[in-house]
Amino acid sequence: MGRKNVNILVAMLLSIFLVLAACSSNTKDNANTKNTSEGTNKPDTFVYGIDGDPGNAVNVITTGDRYGLMEIKALYSPLYMYNGKDNVKYFLAESMTPSADFLTYTAKLRKDVKWHDGQPFTADDVVFTYDEMLKEANGGWARSQLIFNNKPVKVEKVDDYTVKFVLPEVSMGAFEAFGNIFIMPKHIYQGETNIANSPKNATPVGTGPYKFKEYKAGESVTFEKNDDYFLGAPKISKVVYRIIMDANTATLALQKGEINSLAIQPADTSKFNNSSNVTLKPYDEGRIGYLAFNLGSKTVQSKELRQAIAFGLNRQEINTASYVSSDFSQPAYSFLPKKATYFTDDVEKYKFDKKKAKDLLAKSGVTAPKLKLAFIANNPIQQKQAAVIQQDLQAVGINVELVGMDATALSKKLQSVQSDFDMYLSGYIMGIDPDTFNSLFVTNGEANYMHYSNAKVDELFNQGRVEKDDAKRKAIYEEIQKIIADDAAFYPLTENKRILAIDSRIKGIDEATLVPVYTFEDMSKLSY
Amino acid sequence: MLKYIFKRIMGAIPLLIIISIICFGLIQLAPYDAVDAMTTPNMSEKTIELIKARYGLDQPAYMQYFYWIKGILSGEWGYSIVTHESISHNLSTRIPNTILLVVPAYILALILSIILGLFSGAKKGKLVDKIIDGYSSFGIAIPSFWLAMILVFIFGYSLNLFPILGMHTIGSEGSFPDLLSHIVLPCTVLTLSFLPELVRYVRSSTIGQLSEDYVMVQQAYGAGATSILFRHVLRNVLLPIITIVGMSLPMLVTGAVVTETVFGWPGIGTYFVTAIRGFDYPIVMAIMLLSSSLVIIGNLVSDILYSIVDPRIKGMGE
Repeated sequence: MGRKNVNILVAMLLSIFLVLAACSSNTKDNANTKNTSEGTNKPDTFVYGIDGDPGNAVNVITTGDRYGLMEIKALYSPLYMYNGKDNVKYFLAESMTPSADFLTYTAKLRKDVKWHDGQPFTADDVVFTYDEMLKEANGGWARSQLIFNNKPVKVEKVDDYTVKFVLPEVSMGAFEAFGNIFIMPKHIYQGETNIANSPKNATPVGTGPYKFKEYKAGESVTFEKNDDYFLGAPKISKVVYRIIMDANTATLALQKGEINSLAIQPADTSKFNNSSNVTLKPYDEGRIGYLAFNLGSKTVQSKELRQAIAFGLNRQEINTASYVSSDFSQPAYSFLPKKATYFTDDVEKYKFDKKKAKDLLAKSGVTAPKLKLAFIANNPIQQKQAAVIQQDLQAVGINVELVGMDATALSKKLQSVQSDFDMYLSGYIMGIDPDTFNSLFVTNGEANYMHYSNAKVDELFNQGRVEKDDAKRKAIYEEIQKIIADDAAFYPLTENKRILAIDSRIKGIDEATLVPVYTFEDMSKLSY
Repeated sequence: MLKYIFKRIMGAIPLLIIISIICFGLIQLAPYDAVDAMTTPNMSEKTIELIKARYGLDQPAYMQYFYWIKGILSGEWGYSIVTHESISHNLSTRIPNTILLVVPAYILALILSIILGLFSGAKKGKLVDKIIDGYSSFGIAIPSFWLAMILVFIFGYSLNLFPILGMHTIGSEGSFPDLLSHIVLPCTVLTLSFLPELVRYVRSSTIGQLSEDYVMVQQAYGAGATSILFRHVLRNVLLPIITIVGMSLPMLVTGAVVTETVFGWPGIGTYFVTAIRGFDYPIVMAIMLLSSSLVIIGNLVSDILYSIVDPRIKGMGE
């Protein structure tokens, strides 16, 4: 009897499994046909994997995160993008010319531009945008660069297609400061008191190559092409930013072709070295990765101690450990990236020298120092940098305790004066003109997280901002680079590249131009 | 019966109030000001005062508590500090996605576990039992993200049978077969991670029931082992399962946090993880409140169901 019952059970289980198997084989078939059809029909969609959620409130005034800005780049256009002294790419403006005294800049606007809703683009939109950017209550990201010595720039409409920027005093960085600001539609945002939280942000209307189609929280942002785009209709009809939080899944999805593009870590590059489907495009973002001292902490006040540490560090080894190959990272010696104007590497380089480090340490009078090094705990690059730094300094008799922190927590800490750690790892992407770096180094600067203060540096930055003579400016900024290197509060580690892995079928990457932060300067040029 | 249900509901209300007070207390202790979610750093003092007054943030703490409760009850859960978006709006788009993933996986795990558990309990000590029990011990120890990555690699990448990302293929959002093919892998992971615990529960419960007198009586009457197992033992085994099912109500919100993150599933899990990383206190608190309330409600529901299924229970409480 017992056996018979077992048979019944077995039969039941079998039937259940059969049903399940039938179901799953069905779905398998579906998946298969899906994938093949994706392979053939896809070339009208470009899917870019991102590891953050830009949210549904992007606006040109307050959005400042990388993915939000990438969304803005697709939807809106600036007057022009400033990528270097001789590399200005004009979008909504046809030209921007300074007057002889450099106090007035005149922008001539394109006449053929329409907003995504069909309204014409005019000078009113430009004036409106700069006015909103300047309003303190809006908290605009570019406000401080439009204020010159506590006085704001005046933006005036001359006629429908001409705008005048009137400076309160001469500033050589002004041309760069006016660029890269995206123009928003006056007819949509007029009268809006709270732009950051406006419900209008959910349905953005821009002048960019792509129109906003749909945002799905935690999933994707979808754009469709703007056939009226003033630089020519985009060639790919749909662009999707797909949110993938897990790096392993994202890499697999790229290998598999579920996404067409992704920024990857140097350690993952080996997975694509022999791939015919994916091409690697390392590109320069002008990012400086550095080790800095927290001068809010008493322990590191001695310049000799800081110099001892600088000599004790093996820059080459740190970079190889973190960025694998020199293809993705170059050693940095100045606080300026190579493409910045007036960059020089004729500064103290602190060539790795254990003996010098030990001598300086003895000279500093600090015995057996114990220092805390803060870094972002889940950042694979910083983990490796921190580990090598710890070893290097151990060898010259300096004890380093590693303090791994959450990214947001660390950035909160950096904004206040504290002594929770003595050194930290970080990085920045600033502009082209050295003046855009001043907030990092002048006393009480907005981004002066080291709490560095050197009266000479402050003075030179102020001079550089208003100096009209190119040779004199050059001398000023070269001197700043030397002083900052000598003070050894800021130890530049690397000028690293961002590695974009992209579907090999995609063409036109050079015309679209890889740029810092936004990835593509003009996505309309991409094609299959 | 109604009296018992009424009593249980009345008992749960103070608990919910205590939970809400604890959550509110934690929000007050958290190192941020609720007004931060609505302001930008450059707003003038005066504007901030106005906003504070509008949301009652200038009132003493106990008054703020009532404003807060009123907001929670009317579906106004506040704003994210990071993205400035409405939390209730975000939750309402994400919770259905999570439910879509968790419910089928849980039901599947439940059915499988009842079958496997009964089978292994009835064959205690035999090879089948050893295999099933061994699998359960092993399964409990497997971290779900690891299992997920393995399945993604084998079925998503090497065999290329299923898509590995999100809920839909771009372009076929409305297609049901497409959704189904996206659901297979995460659902399998979840089923496999819910399963072991349930199997062990059913198994030990079956073993317990099989030693009861009524089983012996049935055997004496000459009933077959299968009929005893399915007619009598199953019913008694199912009773405590109701409790387990009720208790797992909060899983609707937090049951798939890890799995969702691996598969990029746009549910509560990814939202929660992002909020934790970004120190987005209002979101973290909202989800904590939601899941802790669901624990209490789940308990309540299972108690009530239990008393309906087994009327002896309500007598015990009195």
